[in-house]
Amino acid sequence: MFENLLPALNEHNLPYPDTMHPIIVHFVIAMVLFAFFCDVIGYFTKNSRLFEVSWWNMFFATISIFIAIIFGQIEAGLALAYDAVEPVLNLHTLIGWSLSGIIAAITGWRYVIRLRDSQSIPVSYLGVGVFLTILVCFQVYLGDKLVWVYGLHTSPVVEAVKEGVL
Amino acid sequence: MNSELINQLDLGANGLPYSIPIHPNLVHLTLGLFIISIAFDIVGVFFTLEKPIFKFLAIKATRSGFFDVGWYNMLASSVITFFTVAAGFYEIMLAQPQADVKSAWGLGAMETMLWHGVGGVVLLTLIVGMTVWRGYQRFAWRKDRALQVQWSYLFIGLFIMFIMYVHGTLGAHMAGEFGIHNTADNLLRLGQDPNALLK
Repeated sequence: MFENLLPALNEHNLPYPDTMHPIIVHFVIAMVLFAFFCDVIGYFTKNSRLFEVSWWNMFFATISIFIAIIFGQIEAGLALAYDAVEPVLNLHTLIGWSLSGIIAAITGWRYVIRLRDSQSIPVSYLGVGVFLTILVCFQVYLGDKLVWVYGLHTSPVVEAVKEGVL
Repeated sequence: MNSELINQLDLGANGLPYSIPIHPNLVHLTLGLFIISIAFDIVGVFFTLEKPIFKFLAIKATRSGFFDVGWYNMLASSVITFFTVAAGFYEIMLAQPQADVKSAWGLGAMETMLWHGVGGVVLLTLIVGMTVWRGYQRFAWRKDRALQVQWSYLFIGLFIMFIMYVHGTLGAHMAGEFGIHNTADNLLRLGQDPNALLK
């Protein structure tokens, strides 16, 4: 009975034109990966400007991931996920939420490192950076599968599910 | 591209020799780096206004630090975008979109692909041009100035973001409406069941 209070959904099963989550994640993926790249180059060239660049990129990634999760949850909830999709969507959701905590913690650690000495970073931080980079790449791979293999929110899949073909 | 030629290659259900398109992943980097670069230059220009906020939050911040982000992110965006465009052309040449569909903007697949291809080269040129311009401001014209960037640079940066929005929406139509390189969409078109085949 509350159905007619909700906004109308389009052919992507969304209340707005196109998916937002894949756009907002630009600012998590690009910032985390570039921050790690700057850390590695900065560590070996002793260019402390790059540490500043890395820190601000992580700072921005931390804000962005929470917005990415909000839109991710909305769009996952509206996705007409058929049986084969479910395990991938569940894992993507689980890692996504975990990444919010992991990225926030790493940025917090970085805040302390930068406060004490902004001219260098410890090797252990680079080690955690490797782990974060791998985790982000895996998460991107899962998100890619949801869109490019399973076709969530693409009009042919939405149409097929609504018609009962899928 | 001629479908007879495409069929000479050994491709998967998504029309590519690999399971996930590369171009959309490089796009994350191009757009993320460009937009954040301009954003941090804007933060750098308005530093006086933000200073008390950062002080209140006990976050150490310097104007030159924000301009460093502006420069290095723009440089990285420039470098990565050559690969974004290269991967895009590889994948667009293998595209076999649905011919009978019109996008939300009323364009057919061919028009959308042509505009997206031309737009990609235009954007690459603009991003490289912005990087060179940014470099001149940083290392020559404004080397000793507190404000490292010109207003015109920021305004043109914002305008390029608008082009990116239009361009990106065309790209989203290619993926979400014409089903280009999408495994499930292509299986459905062939009358097969993705639910059974992709388990």
